[in-house]
Amino acid sequence: MLDATIILQILWTSLATSSYYVLFAVAFALVLKVTRLFNFAQAAIMTIAFYTAFVAVQWLEWPAWAAFAVMMAATLAASYALERIGFEALRKRGVSVMFVFVFTFMVSEFVDYLAMLIFGTWPQTVFPGIFWPVTLVGNIAISAWDLPAIGATAGAFAVLFGFMRFSRLGQFMTGVADNPELAELYGIDKRRIFLVAMLIAGAFSALGMFLYGTRAQVLPQTGLNLMLFAVAATIIGGIGNVAGAAIAAVILGVIQNASILVISSEWQGFLLYVFLFLAIIFFPNGLRLPQRRRFATASETLAEQDAPPAESKA
Amino acid sequence: MEYLDGLIVIVGLYVILAASFNLIIGYGGLVSIAHPVFFALGAYASAILSRDFAVPVPLAMVAGAAVALAASIALALPSLRVSGDYLLIASIGFQLGLLEVIKNLRFTGGSSGFTNIPPFLIRDFGRLSYVVLVLAATAAVIWLVRSIARSDYGRAMSAMRDDELAFASLGRNAMWMKIAIFGLGSGLAGLAGALYAHYFRFVTPEQFELLQSAAILTMVVVGGMRTTWGPVVGALLLEALPQALAFLNLPPSVLGPIQGLLFTGLVLVFMFFRPQGLVPAQDVWRGTRKAEETR
Amino acid sequence: MANVLEVRGLNKSFGGIVVARNVDLDLHSGRVVGLIGPNGAGKTSLFNLISGVVRLDSGGVWLDGAPLNRLKFHQRIHRGLSRTWQHVRLFPSLPVLDNLLIATRDYPGERLVNVLFGRRRLGEHDRLARDKAMDILARMGLANVADALVTDLPYGQQKLVGVARALMGEAKCLLLDEPMAGVEGASYATMQRVVREVADRGVAVCVVEHNVAFVRDLCDEGVFMFSGAIMERGSVAELIRDPQLTELYFGH
Repeated sequence: MLDATIILQILWTSLATSSYYVLFAVAFALVLKVTRLFNFAQAAIMTIAFYTAFVAVQWLEWPAWAAFAVMMAATLAASYALERIGFEALRKRGVSVMFVFVFTFMVSEFVDYLAMLIFGTWPQTVFPGIFWPVTLVGNIAISAWDLPAIGATAGAFAVLFGFMRFSRLGQFMTGVADNPELAELYGIDKRRIFLVAMLIAGAFSALGMFLYGTRAQVLPQTGLNLMLFAVAATIIGGIGNVAGAAIAAVILGVIQNASILVISSEWQGFLLYVFLFLAIIFFPNGLRLPQRRRFATASETLAEQDAPPAESKA
Repeated sequence: MEYLDGLIVIVGLYVILAASFNLIIGYGGLVSIAHPVFFALGAYASAILSRDFAVPVPLAMVAGAAVALAASIALALPSLRVSGDYLLIASIGFQLGLLEVIKNLRFTGGSSGFTNIPPFLIRDFGRLSYVVLVLAATAAVIWLVRSIARSDYGRAMSAMRDDELAFASLGRNAMWMKIAIFGLGSGLAGLAGALYAHYFRFVTPEQFELLQSAAILTMVVVGGMRTTWGPVVGALLLEALPQALAFLNLPPSVLGPIQGLLFTGLVLVFMFFRPQGLVPAQDVWRGTRKAEETR
Repeated sequence: MANVLEVRGLNKSFGGIVVARNVDLDLHSGRVVGLIGPNGAGKTSLFNLISGVVRLDSGGVWLDGAPLNRLKFHQRIHRGLSRTWQHVRLFPSLPVLDNLLIATRDYPGERLVNVLFGRRRLGEHDRLARDKAMDILARMGLANVADALVTDLPYGQQKLVGVARALMGEAKCLLLDEPMAGVEGASYATMQRVVREVADRGVAVCVVEHNVAFVRDLCDEGVFMFSGAIMERGSVAELIRDPQLTELYFGH
């Protein structure tokens, strides 16, 4: 039956593997919070990140650090292009939610097919092998991948937290997230803030894909599947709550890993869709209440817009 | 000749898919990518019922459409209770998740597909009879969507898209209207699926994947949303292109992605340079009965 | 004089700001109540709470004795409530006439069965709706713009169309949110006349307005709101003369 060792092992492994989930979730949640956009094109960014690293390591035979650097550069460039050429143009036109969705979805699909064309449909990894040396601590197997992964994720999160809390740009970002019109009145450049949010998300996505791709196999469509996890975590964590999304990602990761005890592996992937569906039905406002803000009911939000600024203050 | 018949059937079915999706996304203003999965449900349900449960094919086809309809309501009802944006996310989960299920179940044939689906009409009346059936169904669906769009129902949908809160101030329940449209559109997709299954007699999960979502979306967006003929033009165009590509004799591993690139690339180009599509819709709703009155 | 709408002990706060403070209100059939007060008093919020656009924290609303608390916005409209919006909210994709036709009490033309099979059965209903819409438009002097697009109309006329749309549903209780804001000239007298006619037919009317002259000429009684609470009730003339209320009003 279940003994402490197995449970601890599963807990440890899921904690380690939830590292990339956290990164993807934070990226998605941050963009959503600041720009109010469901950025499904993040999957495209993730795909670009992975294949850049892959090409650098396996085709160009560069060392890992160089591959990481060029991956970051490519991802940031792609994020920049997406924001400035894509989203900004759409915002200027005042297009509908549907339009933006179709756009982000199509961008992700386009990059997917491009990857399929160039790299084929068989699984790839960043390094030729994904076997990492394992040390036994007590009876728990700890892979040499685990600690750096957890460390990198925690570090990235800490940097983000510090940035949001203590730097002016980060504080502006929170301001824009809470009330973009008011922030503009105070002279905060929305365009710049949106770009910074997209770049941060890109960096997180790239880091996440580097971690994922050094441990598991990647197909062109992997980006989209991983993104769904991020979406589920963002919804459960509460829209507008980045820390919540991160915590939800860890919890979901643990549940998905632990599920191996009760269901066969081929159904594990399916579990993700169940999460997503349950999240939408039961937790549309997230499990965490503090940041409920404007997402109460659709009509409440619309009604608030109906009242002129003076009226809504009292 | 057999090749041409098959092509006409496929084009007809995709016109049905595009027209019914136009109903959902164009007229209903609902964002969803889950259309192919209802196509699949109709196909699989009809196939399984007729092959393994000896249900007569016409009945199985109707059952296929009904299964698609029921499933779509099961998806839309909880999602729309929250908001329209959630339907989008739920539809992604639904599309991908349900296909996972189909791939892993034994009674659907799993990843290798479902074979030996009972034929219909062809043995008794020849291949052409089925082609006529599909064309008749296609014409019926085009007429149906057009009638709805130009009726008071279409007028209400136009108002709902304009301003949902004002729509509610007229006593209308926007949520039920959206669910009805979603159900109708998805049910029609299910019907197309059933028609597909009994012609080609073989279905696999990979015929109903994200590529098809992209294709149908492209047909509607590029063809022209909220018009009768836009989806038709879109479907014809997008079914003709792959056929043209097929003549290039590319290996399948290259053909697939190139088709995908073409579909998605087209949508992106159109979205930026001609968002109204090939057949532009009018901004103002105009009905039929208005023309009948005398003043 | 029947009590059509009753509001008791309505309370609502939005994140620390109180928009409704123990509000009581009665609307009677045939009477026009003027709801006045400075900006931010919570007048539009009160309309939102009564109609169900916004959920209340505590209190109750009754229409003809039946409780509305558990009903959603569109369900309350069905029961006989009707309202207009400060920012008009007409449907830009429909011509003026269709904006009214779509606002009838029942709409058999929208049942899918009728769309496909019952075109002929709807003829009578359509004719009646059309006659009624044209009648309302004529009374407002808008008969000539029936086929125009709402976006082509000047703001004052759009507001009139908004009121016309609210009248199509034959509601028992009508809430008008600043019908005169942005309206001048001939439309002023028209609006007064139309609202008076509606009330005379037995509808309970409540008007939120800043235009004091309008309120004084039209309303049978006045209610002064400030900071979410009702400060005074009485005849409009009395309220206007009260120096404390004047200070509250103009102090903001």
